[in-house]
Amino acid sequence: MTAKTTLLSRREFVKLATQVGVSAAVVGAFVQIRGALTKAKAGSHGPVSDAYHWVMVIDLGRCTGCNYCTYACKATNDTAPGITWNAVFNDRQSFAKEVYLARPCMHCEHAPCVEVCPVGATYHRADGLVAMDYDLCIGCRYCQIACPYGARYFNWEDNNQPNPMAPEWGKPEIERRPRGVVEKCTFCTHRIDAGLENGLRPGIDEDATPACVNICPVKARQFGDLNDPDSKVSKLLAERESIQLREDLGTHPRVYYMLPERGEDQTCA
Amino acid sequence: MRMRLALPNTRQTVFIGWIALLSLLALLGVGTAIWVFKEGLVVTNLSNQVPWGLWITVDLSSIALSGGAFFLSALVYIAGIERFKPAARLAVFAGMLGYGAALCTLLIDIGRPDRFYHPLVFWNVHSMLWEVSMCIVLYFSVLTLEVFPLVTTHPFFDRLPRVRALAERIHKAAPMLAFLGLGFSMLHQSSLGATYGVVIARPIWFRPTMPLLFIVSAIAAGPALTITLALVVGWLRGRAIVPRDVLFEIARIAGLVLLVYLYMRFWDAMAGNYGYVPLRSEATAVLTKGSMALSFWSWEIVLGTVIPAVLLLWAAFTKREAELFIGSSMAVIGLIANRWHTTIVGLTTPLTTNPALTYPLIPSYTPAWTEWAVAIGIIGGVLLVFTLGVRYLPAFNPQSDSH
Repeated sequence: MTAKTTLLSRREFVKLATQVGVSAAVVGAFVQIRGALTKAKAGSHGPVSDAYHWVMVIDLGRCTGCNYCTYACKATNDTAPGITWNAVFNDRQSFAKEVYLARPCMHCEHAPCVEVCPVGATYHRADGLVAMDYDLCIGCRYCQIACPYGARYFNWEDNNQPNPMAPEWGKPEIERRPRGVVEKCTFCTHRIDAGLENGLRPGIDEDATPACVNICPVKARQFGDLNDPDSKVSKLLAERESIQLREDLGTHPRVYYMLPERGEDQTCA
Repeated sequence: MRMRLALPNTRQTVFIGWIALLSLLALLGVGTAIWVFKEGLVVTNLSNQVPWGLWITVDLSSIALSGGAFFLSALVYIAGIERFKPAARLAVFAGMLGYGAALCTLLIDIGRPDRFYHPLVFWNVHSMLWEVSMCIVLYFSVLTLEVFPLVTTHPFFDRLPRVRALAERIHKAAPMLAFLGLGFSMLHQSSLGATYGVVIARPIWFRPTMPLLFIVSAIAAGPALTITLALVVGWLRGRAIVPRDVLFEIARIAGLVLLVYLYMRFWDAMAGNYGYVPLRSEATAVLTKGSMALSFWSWEIVLGTVIPAVLLLWAAFTKREAELFIGSSMAVIGLIANRWHTTIVGLTTPLTTNPALTYPLIPSYTPAWTEWAVAIGIIGGVLLVFTLGVRYLPAFNPQSDSH
C-alpha cells in the first residue's frame, strides 16, 4: 500500500494512536481511583438478608396521640431538637372522630428519595429497608424535596446538647449524625440486625424491635415479617382493612394503617 | 498599548468606583460565605419544609442565562453563521462566569461542602441532580477551554509563547468544543427542569413539560443576556463590542424562541390544569390569583415574557437600541422570576390531601440576610471579573488587538 492510498500517514497514525492511548489511560485511571474511593468510603452495607419483608402496622383506632413513640424514638436514635423521625399528627377531617396519625419513614419499595439522591447515600438494603450512608451524603436536600411524606430531616446545626428525652424514654443506641447531612427513621435497623445475629425475632423480642413499637402503651403499633404468614403483622393485615399513605403515588410503603372500626369498642381489635 | 487603553478622567473615576463597589460586594459575599461555612445552614431561612430557596434560584438562573454560550457557539461553529462570532465570544466568557457562579453557590448551599466531589465519584445514574452535577462540571471545563484562548490574547502572555501556542491549538478545536457544549447543555439545561419534573410528590412540578420549558426559556433568555451585556458595554465604551446588526439578528431569534416558549407555556397550563388536579390546582391558584399572583403576572408573564418577546421582535424591525435593551433585559428578569416562582410555589404547597393532615402547614419563606449577602456577593464577583475581562482582554477590544 502506498502513502497515497492510505487514509493516514504513519506519522499521523502514530500520533492518533498516542492520543487515543493517553485518553484511555486517563479514563482508566479515573475509573480506578473512583473504584478505590467507592470501596474505601461506601464500604459494604453489612450482612443483611433479603429473606425478610419488614413492615409496620399502625392502628389508627387505637392510637391515643400520647406521643410516647416520638419520645422513645428521640431518645433511642439520639435525634437533635427539631428532628422527629416519628412524628404524630392529628387528623380531624378523614374520619368521623379525630384520629392520630404517627408517621415514621415509609421505607417505600419505590422510594423517591433513593431515586433522586445524586450520590447514592440513600439506598435500599438487601431486605428492602431504605437506609442512609451518612458518610456519603453531601447535604443537597433533594431527598427532602422528593419525599412525599415529609419524613426527612436535615441537620441544620451541630447538636452538642444533652438529649432531653434520655434517659427517661430510653438510652441513645446509635451515633449522632454530623451537621450538614439528612436523616430519617431507620425502622431501628441497628436493633433488627443485632437481634437477628443473636437469634432474636424482630417484632416479638423487644431487643430486636423498633423502640416506637415497644413503648406504645395501647399496642397500636406492630412490627414483623410479612414473609412469615404466622407473624402478627401478616395476621392483622389479612384480618382487617388497612391503607397505606398516598398509595396513588405508587411508592408501595412498608407502613400500613388500620382504619378505626365503626362503632366498635376501641380497646379490642 | 497602555496609552490607548487609558480612559478619559471622569469615565476612569466611574470605572474605578464601579470596580470598588463590585469588589466590596464580592468581599461581603466571601465573608458571609465563611460565616455560613462556620455556623452551618442554620443561619439561613431555609427549613425542612423549604429546603431550597434563593440560592437554588441563583443556580438555576445563572445556568439558564449562560445558555447564550452554547446556543450562539452552536450557531457559529455548527450552523456556520460566522458573523455571530463576536456575540458567541462574549456569551462564552459570560457563560463561564455564570457556571462559575452556579458552582460557587452550590458549594455554599450543600450541607457538606467538604464532600463537593462526591457526585463525581459516587454515582447514582438515576438521579437528575447527579446528571446535572456531572454536566455542569464537564461543561464548565469546556467553557474554560473556550475562554482560555481569549485570556491569552492579553499582552501578559507575550512572554509565554508556549501558553499562546497551546491556546492556539485549543482554539483550533473550537467547533469540537461547541459540539461538546451543545451536547452537555442539551442534557443539563433540560434535566434541571426534570429535577423538578420528576418529583411525584409535588404535582405542580410533576409534568413532562418541565425539562422542555427549562431549556427553551434558557435558549431565549441566554442570548437575551448576551444582548444586554453587549449593549451596556458598547454604550460605556462608545464603540460596539458586538456589531449592531448581529445584535438585532440575535434579538429576532430570541424573540421568536420566547414566543415558542409562551406557546408551550400556554398549552402546558391549559392542558395541565383542566378540571381539578389535587394540589396542582391549589398551587396554580397561588400563582394565578393567590399570594404570588402580582409577582407572577407582572414580573414573569407580562413584563418578563410577553413584552420582551414583542420588544425583541419589534427591535429587530425598527433597529432601535432602546427597545432592544428593554426587551432583552426584561427577558432576563422574566427568567429569574420564573425560576424563583417555580421553586417557591412547589415547596410551599402542602404535600398531601390524603388523608387530610394538618401537616405540612403551608410554610412561608423569605431569604435571610445571609442568603442575600452571598447571592449579591456572587453576582458582584461575577460582574467584577466580567468587567475586568471585557475591559482589559484584547479579544474584547478589537482596535487594540495586535492582529
